[in-house]
Amino acid sequence: MRQSRRDIISWVGRNIIPHEAHLRARLRHMAASEDEIDDIVQEAYLRISKLDTVAHIRNGRAYFFATARSVVLQRIRRKRIVRIDTLADMDSLELEDDVPSPERQASARAELRRVKKLIDDLPERCREIFTLRRIEGVPQREIAARLGVTENVVEGQAARGLKLLLKAIAVDEAGRKQNRHEADRGQRDNVGQY
Amino acid sequence: MSASIDDEAALWAVRLEAGPLSNAQRAALDAWLAVDEKRHGALLRAEAALAYVDRARALGPQNLDQAVLQHEREEEADWDEEPTPASGLGRRTFLSGIAAAGVAVIGWTAFQAFDGPRTAGGPQAEIATVVGEIRRMPLADGSTAAINTSSRLAVDIRPDRRIVRLQEGEAWFQVARDVERPFIVEAGAVRVQAVGTAFSVRRREGGAEVLVTEGVVTAWIEGRETERRRIEAGARGFLSAEMPRVEVAAAPDEVERALAWRDGELALNGETLSQAAAEMNRYNRRQLVIADPALGREQIVGYFETNEPETFARAAAELVGARVVIESDEIRLLPAGP
Repeated sequence: MRQSRRDIISWVGRNIIPHEAHLRARLRHMAASEDEIDDIVQEAYLRISKLDTVAHIRNGRAYFFATARSVVLQRIRRKRIVRIDTLADMDSLELEDDVPSPERQASARAELRRVKKLIDDLPERCREIFTLRRIEGVPQREIAARLGVTENVVEGQAARGLKLLLKAIAVDEAGRKQNRHEADRGQRDNVGQY
Repeated sequence: MSASIDDEAALWAVRLEAGPLSNAQRAALDAWLAVDEKRHGALLRAEAALAYVDRARALGPQNLDQAVLQHEREEEADWDEEPTPASGLGRRTFLSGIAAAGVAVIGWTAFQAFDGPRTAGGPQAEIATVVGEIRRMPLADGSTAAINTSSRLAVDIRPDRRIVRLQEGEAWFQVARDVERPFIVEAGAVRVQAVGTAFSVRRREGGAEVLVTEGVVTAWIEGRETERRRIEAGARGFLSAEMPRVEVAAAPDEVERALAWRDGELALNGETLSQAAAEMNRYNRRQLVIADPALGREQIVGYFETNEPETFARAAAELVGARVVIESDEIRLLPAGP
């Protein structure tokens, strides 16, 4: 079944975007460079953008991670990443289970804080327009009239807000907090081995 | 990854979200995308990020602060807790004064919003659209609704269940997952229940049509709860009090086509001109009239903007070899004269 683009976008917004920061944290754990991480994440989105439908995907987070894993493997095959311990680190891209841990649930709720902080951190004009457009749903034309600017300006500021949002999605407090927990567990395991 | 690709993608995402692109804009977008395949991924990401932020609309500006405060208090407690099952009435009571809402397993928690023209309807709200109006809006529980032309619905969201009464017309719902609170649409005697799903309900003569785009719903006639029927993604169901059974048929492409109104379009694939005109007429004051029965039986294929009956008439006339007479209050399609 083909799904409309709008449905797919909506699904990605709910089931993929919230996990991007965590994915990036895992990739960083594999000591991939920021540029490599950007490339891998971008390739993952590209693959998703080619799907006709997402209705068959039960777990977006798992799908995202699995796609990223596949991208990494492809890069190894094409010798784009040359690190001896990469294959061992690949395990960190596996999801252990589907059940959301309390940490993951907490971070799901922390998304609310993320969005609020993100919007609060926007430059003044940009925040005003972004809030009017995205939070209050005021049409672009009306914002332009209300603020006495052209629609182009409104569009530009909304795009700027989105740009900053995209940057912030890649960096996330909750993700880092999670990563620390996992790193702690990992360290304890290593100690057990010796 | 070039930062400027993301910047450009952000601009395109904002434009796409604002409304249909002009031909020139569409050409410019296609040209931009054609340069590098990666841009498709960047555009998807930008558009999805917008959708992600959109869910904050359910909160409304004032409640955003209060909701964040509650979350922060909750989250502090969570880090010290033993792992517990996903749901928890304990957390609900913590949110006293704010109608608690669906907790998506992976995703989003939303709250009671203000009753205002721009923000989501409150937990009890009445919504009506005029002719040709298509409105997308968040509901107080974090679900999203797209409401079609000339429709009326009453939203009633409570701590133990979420009810939407579709009094007239058609609406599509993307339901925030909440196993503790079933989401039920009532359309006349028809009942449709979802847990975490996307589906539409349309009132029709004597009953209601249900189209499911994501997940599964169960549907039944009031009073006949034992005869519930599952309708899965890609299937269409029709229920009527006069019918002994719920009719369900898998028709994935038709389901998507039938929901093109959410993007302001009518997608036809062999419907007759009469059927097509009847559909277009839902969206416009100026009505299409086809008096000749043989002409009305001609079949039409294509995508049409629902708010452009003239364009439709001209295109349809070309397709079937008819002529168009445009008047101030109606548009008539007639057989081509001798």
